[in-house]
Amino acid sequence: MATATTDLRFSAAATSAKTLDRATVRARRGRFLHHLASRGLHLDHLLPSPFRLRSPFSVCRAAAYAAEGDGEKYEYDLFTIGAGSGGMRASRFASTLYGARAAVCEMPFATVASDALGGVGGTCVLRGCVPKKLLVYASKYSHEFDESHGFGWKYETDPKHDWSTLMTRKNLELQRLVDFQTDMLKNSGVTLIEGRGKIVDPHTVSVDGKLYTARNILIAVGARPSIPDIPGIEHVIDSDAALDLPSRPEKIAIVGGGYIALEFAGIFNGLKSEVHVYIRQKKVLRGFDEEVRDFVTQQMSLRGITFHTEQTPQAITKSDDGLLSLKTNKGTVNGFSHIMFATGRKPNTKNLGLEDVGVKMDKHGSVMVDEYSRTSVDSIWAVGDVTNRVNLTPVALMEGGALTHTIFGNDPIKPDHSAVPSAVFSQPPIGQVGLTEEQATEKYGDVDVYTSNFRPLKATLSGLPDRIYTKLIVCADTNKVLGVHMCGEDAPEIIQGIAIAVKAGLTKQNFDATVGVHPTAAEELVTMRNPTRKVRRNSAGEAKLMSRPYVRSRHVVPSVHKRGKLHSL
Amino acid sequence: MARKMLKDGEVAVADGGGGESYEYDLFVIGAGSGGVRGSRTSAGFGAKVAICELPFHPISSEWQGGHGGTCVIRGCVPKKILVYGAAFRGEFEDAKNFGWEINGDINYNWKKLLENKTQEIVRLNGVYKRILGNSGVTMIEGAGSVVDAHTVEVTQPDGSKQRHTAKHILIATGSRAHLVDIPGKELAITSDEALSLEELPKRAVILGGGYIAVEFASIWKGLGAEVDLFYRKELPLRGFDDEMRTVVASNLEGRGIRLHPATNLTELSKTADGIKVVTDKGDELMADVVLFATGRTPNTNKLNLEAVGVEVDQIGAIKVDEFSHTSVPSIWAVGDVTNRINLTPVALMEATCFAKTVFGGQPVKPDYRDVPCAVFSIPPLSVVGLSEQEALEEAKNDILVYTSSFNPMKNSISKRQEKSIMKLVVDSETDRVLGAAMCGPDAAEIMQGIAVALKSGATKATFDSTVGIHPSAAEEFVTMRTLTRRVSPASKLKTNL
Repeated sequence: MATATTDLRFSAAATSAKTLDRATVRARRGRFLHHLASRGLHLDHLLPSPFRLRSPFSVCRAAAYAAEGDGEKYEYDLFTIGAGSGGMRASRFASTLYGARAAVCEMPFATVASDALGGVGGTCVLRGCVPKKLLVYASKYSHEFDESHGFGWKYETDPKHDWSTLMTRKNLELQRLVDFQTDMLKNSGVTLIEGRGKIVDPHTVSVDGKLYTARNILIAVGARPSIPDIPGIEHVIDSDAALDLPSRPEKIAIVGGGYIALEFAGIFNGLKSEVHVYIRQKKVLRGFDEEVRDFVTQQMSLRGITFHTEQTPQAITKSDDGLLSLKTNKGTVNGFSHIMFATGRKPNTKNLGLEDVGVKMDKHGSVMVDEYSRTSVDSIWAVGDVTNRVNLTPVALMEGGALTHTIFGNDPIKPDHSAVPSAVFSQPPIGQVGLTEEQATEKYGDVDVYTSNFRPLKATLSGLPDRIYTKLIVCADTNKVLGVHMCGEDAPEIIQGIAIAVKAGLTKQNFDATVGVHPTAAEELVTMRNPTRKVRRNSAGEAKLMSRPYVRSRHVVPSVHKRGKLHSL
Repeated sequence: MARKMLKDGEVAVADGGGGESYEYDLFVIGAGSGGVRGSRTSAGFGAKVAICELPFHPISSEWQGGHGGTCVIRGCVPKKILVYGAAFRGEFEDAKNFGWEINGDINYNWKKLLENKTQEIVRLNGVYKRILGNSGVTMIEGAGSVVDAHTVEVTQPDGSKQRHTAKHILIATGSRAHLVDIPGKELAITSDEALSLEELPKRAVILGGGYIAVEFASIWKGLGAEVDLFYRKELPLRGFDDEMRTVVASNLEGRGIRLHPATNLTELSKTADGIKVVTDKGDELMADVVLFATGRTPNTNKLNLEAVGVEVDQIGAIKVDEFSHTSVPSIWAVGDVTNRINLTPVALMEATCFAKTVFGGQPVKPDYRDVPCAVFSIPPLSVVGLSEQEALEEAKNDILVYTSSFNPMKNSISKRQEKSIMKLVVDSETDRVLGAAMCGPDAAEIMQGIAVALKSGATKATFDSTVGIHPSAAEEFVTMRTLTRRVSPASKLKTNL
């Protein structure tokens, strides 16, 4: 075996992450690997090849993080407030990969979060991704029953759904996950403290009055649904409550046009509620690719969901029979059993002691951090939704992982927020990575757009109006694939592999050179040969369309309104 | 040589042949995936093209075929349709724990599925004809055979014959299922008939361990039959990664299919109770249907190839060079008839390369590296690149193997006992991902994007730097941080780190 190729000459401990030069970074990475090797871990393959270690060195545990000599002054090397995705990742990695003394505090488990309740696992596991996806699975069956008829399946009576079975099983699974994650923390050597944490000074956290000192404090308290303060708001539910309703809503209004609103619209529609979605804008999913926004609305409408556009909720009233009315700028609709607000989320930064200790926040209450997730106080860091960067579990994991590397690996790593793929588990779902057409045109001017809108094989037999929409956005100059968007069955699963290609900066030629997997929906992404349109920047710097035969105007997107799929009250 | 052919092609298109005069620039025998793509693309380059194909029928023979070929009429498409149909059973089982109550009987109407399937393939058959027509390709019905290097004879269903001359001939006649030679083999059916059975069998016996056998086992089991699957090796799916083969076998068993590894059938006979099947282990069982999925033979024996000097190998596959050129300068062949990688998208690639080479002024070889493929068993298997065994064969460096076996989230409620398995095979020196495999729901859809990355030489570091899509199964491919084992090509010993 070859000897170590890593340069160990540079070992000066820089105090600020930002001032490290390349050679130091390299040296530290080498030390980190030696350190791992000494612990029996061989993770060098995870790193880019120039940094990879060829031989396990028996270097004593690098106490680089205690370089300033104050390591023992504090009870912990890292005290994390909040055991959600980001907090768990950071504290576990700190302990297992770097031997740091890590503690995390978290509030008791409840399905609905409050100032005093939360649970190990956080939003993702308890009130977000996981329970949401479980309900998506449950609700999707009604579509599958419909599909199955075309394939020859028949039932004596229509399948019925029992709400309490689903809730019971879902909650059993959540409890299992809480226990599992608690065990995982403990097995990682992380001290778990139950209670609400509050920062007292840059190195002290109080958990329900008991004080803990730490060299570093990590804020990973996440976010909570936020609803506007309008009359009657006490009658509405948020996504926390919507995931744990005692009975099926007969008729539900969902206010909001973001991904949470659309996901719940799909869930309740599939579980046979009458669903009305109210959005303030003309279109759902602001920030997503324009055509995807139109397409998903059409497909959801075809599955029975009613969209009400350009309506701002003003008040909710409850009548004697217990039913709710929603008053908007356009009128009042009565007879809702439930009204859900999915109108955004707010960072959980109240009563954390941040103002007193000098941690800066933006106007929404998000903790402001630098590229290394460091707050305005040197010893205090923050990751995940509380920083309101890209609010996704895998991003919080990335931030948490990078943070431990920065603090304890003495190897500052910035989490890379570019080309982060994401999904909306609406029905049909959306998967996307990279830029939207609008962003790409703005940034690069000249782009080629490949689109395909097709009826999948399954729909030809089921007879249902399901379709799949895909879009590939290519830089005309470099041929790099800048963005890929897909709405339709399996889109989130399909986009993951595509995200690797986009992250790697691959070109349209790379996509074209790949042989299809036949017959799949995904093969469409490697068989799009002719651009639907070419957008070119003119001399005035304004993007416009070229090459007529394939062109469809970007600015005259066929509107769902015109097709009568949307209802305006 | 390619350049020479290219010049020939250009001459033929540009000035009609300058002395030699042919009716067509290109005559294609067989309108399956390869033939249709080859003729359309050539026509797109300005070539005058004709194509002959047999009359449409779901079951192929010397005299029956149809536009669209195996893939559309007797392969990928109808097979996938039946897989969709069959997969509903598992969905209904899983639905119960999600709160769905299906009261009374679930009936299965096979005839309806069959009718809808036939309707769809008839529609696609029409689509293919229309595409050809719109491309300006002349369609001729009948069986084509080669008379000489530039002449094709087409025998029409009524027995009449006509001859056509062409500068180039492209053979794209595909292949057909064949029956192993055992007593009573006439009682067995092939995959052609299996896709069009009048009645759904209650007891099905399948001989073969390839993807077709495995897919039909899943289809029939899903639609309610008792299925016994016999194959010669210890595991099904020879050629695939051994670890994945084990997973597929255990999933098939988990779904209720009875596996009979290392067992052959020796005799079939008709009885009042059905077909009596005898195995080489002396066991007997009764079946309503016996499917032989024991391989396919290239459709070359009626083409008169020997007479014109087109070389075939011992199984009858046409020998071609890297440009799909046969031993006769004016004759080319693509798709299953050449028995390279027998997949629709590969035939498409070969045909596109052929057209570019001969008529497009751009000699291109099809690239067989990192061709992804899927087995639509329930749940499916999909792979791209090298298996662990292949990687070790080819490797100079140690191979790093990452595997992940996990309970899909859906199973946490449904309580289905079936793990999804993923695997990455990585070169320890270059960090390149040499192979990827998955067995589990949506594997085929997931693998397509992974294939783009692999084909472009993505490293494990690139996979790791990609953020996951949560919660999905696919995110596992970018979060496999822990090495399962490191294998040295020299020792081929497996060690656990």
